[in-house]
Amino acid sequence: MTEPLSAARVGIGGPVGSGKTALLECLIPAFADRGTSLAVITNDLVTREDAERLQRSGLIEPRRVVAVEAGACPHTVIREDPTLNLDAAEGLEVRFHPLDLVLLESGGDNLASTFSPELVDYWIFVIDVSGGGDIPRKRGPGVLQADLLVINKADLAPHVGVDLAAMTKEARDVRRGRPVIVTNCRTGEAVVDVVDHIVRNVLFDG
Amino acid sequence: MTDIRTLLAALRMGDSAFPSGGFAFSWGLETLVEDGKVNDGAGVLKFARSQLRNRWATADRVMARRAAETRCDEEWSDLDRMLDAMTLAGELRSGSCQAGRALLRAHAGLGNPAALRWRRLVAEGRARGHLPVVQGAVWAGSGLTMEVLETLSAWTLVSGVAQAAIRLSLTGPLEAQAILAEVTDDIAGILAVPPPDEPHAFTPLADIAVMRHERGNVRLFAN
Repeated sequence: MTEPLSAARVGIGGPVGSGKTALLECLIPAFADRGTSLAVITNDLVTREDAERLQRSGLIEPRRVVAVEAGACPHTVIREDPTLNLDAAEGLEVRFHPLDLVLLESGGDNLASTFSPELVDYWIFVIDVSGGGDIPRKRGPGVLQADLLVINKADLAPHVGVDLAAMTKEARDVRRGRPVIVTNCRTGEAVVDVVDHIVRNVLFDG
Repeated sequence: MTDIRTLLAALRMGDSAFPSGGFAFSWGLETLVEDGKVNDGAGVLKFARSQLRNRWATADRVMARRAAETRCDEEWSDLDRMLDAMTLAGELRSGSCQAGRALLRAHAGLGNPAALRWRRLVAEGRARGHLPVVQGAVWAGSGLTMEVLETLSAWTLVSGVAQAAIRLSLTGPLEAQAILAEVTDDIAGILAVPPPDEPHAFTPLADIAVMRHERGNVRLFAN
């Protein structure tokens, strides 16, 4: 499948409320500091909430953020039929040429969501400790197959009765050693590690 | 009798698994539900019939046929511009272009020469890529006969409406199939007579719903 696109595309998926938009709000200024030309696509499920939150954030030129409606099919629009997201990515690339990176935030979904390789070059799955320490053990395709697993809201672990060290170890075990990063996107803790992963594995300019 | 290869091609391209983004559009149905104008399967049937008779049969069909018959870039662009000028509601225009571009992308990715040419026209800003025009050009380029191409165009419209109705909790999957079976006669009746010479459409309730959708708070669908 030849695409006339040159910007790298990185997907961010994960359950509702795990911190996907919060991670984006950390990544956007980090990439701006590096001089990376960036755009964002959000697949909000019901509203334009996430797109508008980013457009109002002051972190990025509002026109560089577009919302793609998913017709109540958040899985479909990133996997079975990513055509509308590809079209949005191409539109951004034409308008903001040259573009280095498109970050694509999936609508909040469940542990079975995965990104099509025709849509993204690399994808991150975000879970959080308050969703339960047993999430890695459930071996959802998102947790297992993502290029990078982020466990967010590290600071909440003691308040929700989660043994963070055990949860992280289980995540590394089920992922057979593939990368896992524990973050707190509210404070930006360890987000630099996520940026490093994207720079080294996707942008190849680190 | 349609030959087996054409039939299989039509089944493949009309399958909801064919990746061309159709699941993201409700063509006004989402807002009609939100406004309490459509509440059940009977309402969905009326909506599907109205879309078929008062837009598809009189406008989309005409455009798809013309696009299938022409092989010239200029004529294609003219058809596209005419449809753009005819379509009042903003999200009907943008939805038609978004869906058309998605269909183009899929067929271009599969190496369809008509789709590759059309994608270049859209990229150069010489066409916007309205769905009926793209359907005609691309499906004719895939070797479908006019009869099969028209049937496929009508089918994707009603099947999209039926799927949207399920996701809007208006019907269950069996009732949706019953609605699709019910409109079979409508489609056959439309296709049994020649299309009008000039395209026109009149679906005011749906058009107003699409306009209201632009400012609506609930946006599962792109229109």
